[in-house]
Amino acid sequence: MIGVTIDGRTIAVEEGTTLLDAARSIGIKIPTLCHHDGLPPDGNCRLCAVEVDERGRKKLVSSCMYPIKSEISADTKNERVIAARRFVVQLLINRNPKAIAIGELAKEYGVVREERFALEADLCVRCGRCVRACESNGTDAIGMARAGFERYVAAPYDEAPESCVGCASCAEVCPTGKITYKDDGLIRKIWNRTFDLAVCRRCGSRYATKEQLAHIGRLGAANIAVEDIDEPRLCDKCRKAIYTAKFKTGS
Amino acid sequence: MVKRVLMVYPEKCTGCGSCELACSFTHEGEFRPSVSRIGVFRFDEGGSNVPMTCFQCEEPACLKVCKTGALWRDEEKDIVAFNESKCIGCRMCVMACPFGNISYNRTAKKASKCDQCDGLPQCVEFCPNKALDYLPADTENWNKKRAFTDKMRRALAEVK
Repeated sequence: MIGVTIDGRTIAVEEGTTLLDAARSIGIKIPTLCHHDGLPPDGNCRLCAVEVDERGRKKLVSSCMYPIKSEISADTKNERVIAARRFVVQLLINRNPKAIAIGELAKEYGVVREERFALEADLCVRCGRCVRACESNGTDAIGMARAGFERYVAAPYDEAPESCVGCASCAEVCPTGKITYKDDGLIRKIWNRTFDLAVCRRCGSRYATKEQLAHIGRLGAANIAVEDIDEPRLCDKCRKAIYTAKFKTGS
Repeated sequence: MVKRVLMVYPEKCTGCGSCELACSFTHEGEFRPSVSRIGVFRFDEGGSNVPMTCFQCEEPACLKVCKTGALWRDEEKDIVAFNESKCIGCRMCVMACPFGNISYNRTAKKASKCDQCDGLPQCVEFCPNKALDYLPADTENWNKKRAFTDKMRRALAEVK
């Protein structure tokens, strides 16, 4: 265990704990956009900046990417930290004025949009959560393309990504709602691809793409055999209902 | 910590739904059976009712497909634990569970499953008829649970 002082409060944490986790464990709020507890940290948004004092040397770090390795102290809300965050929020609001999460941050940090520096309005904040979610699922269908102002989330060659299974995790973790998907009748549309949805043979609900079911089968779910993915099957609710019926009194 | 098992006795269940209300209130802050992690199935014939929730499998299928570490096996509590903040909403656990015992919360965009309320299951607390019980995992109770799971295994072979 290592002693760490955050905003004047000292706690003991295990070596390797990130500064963000340590701060949150004692109720200190640090804003984040690209951070997701289930995904590896990437330090893209720089909103979680804090000032660290390492034996007298003070520097700004991204707390989500800073593993605690020695006794340090950190300040999460001094002038330098707030200025750094305001700068980040300024760039974000210039480009993403319509994103609700960014609007809230701008309000909190008292930042207004600078029209003359504004790029074309966009919802994507380049946080890369979608890319990491896809990676963690083992599908690797999307990634970051180009650099600087031109950086954007894309499928390879901007074509419909072959390895996408249509699970829509990318949309679920997107902090601004840039990534969307649409279930329309028997199909789901996402990333320029059209997926057939599996239909429950009992209730008729459309509950997943066939590609995702096959992916789950490959990951080792015993109830889904990859070779008969086109067989009509049951959705989770009907599976539960039918098998629960076997426990009726007297049966 | 003494390991305990959540026992279900369908023959004692009256279908009152107290467990569903206790569960949804504890976890979601509202009385809404549709988001409860325990569900009572009510069958007209014979007035039979069956409460159903996560079995906390020893080798869970949900865990096999969870790639973010949101689901893990907590051996100390003997449950399949779930960390909501790590969930990315891919719904693969929902489809992988052979029993349909994990559901997806569309509002939170996260999976939702029974966590046995950290050792004090509210469904058990509020069950008026002891159709649910939370007992020490001793030999006798294990044998009862084993009998239940054997029946479950046979039932599962018939549901695809």
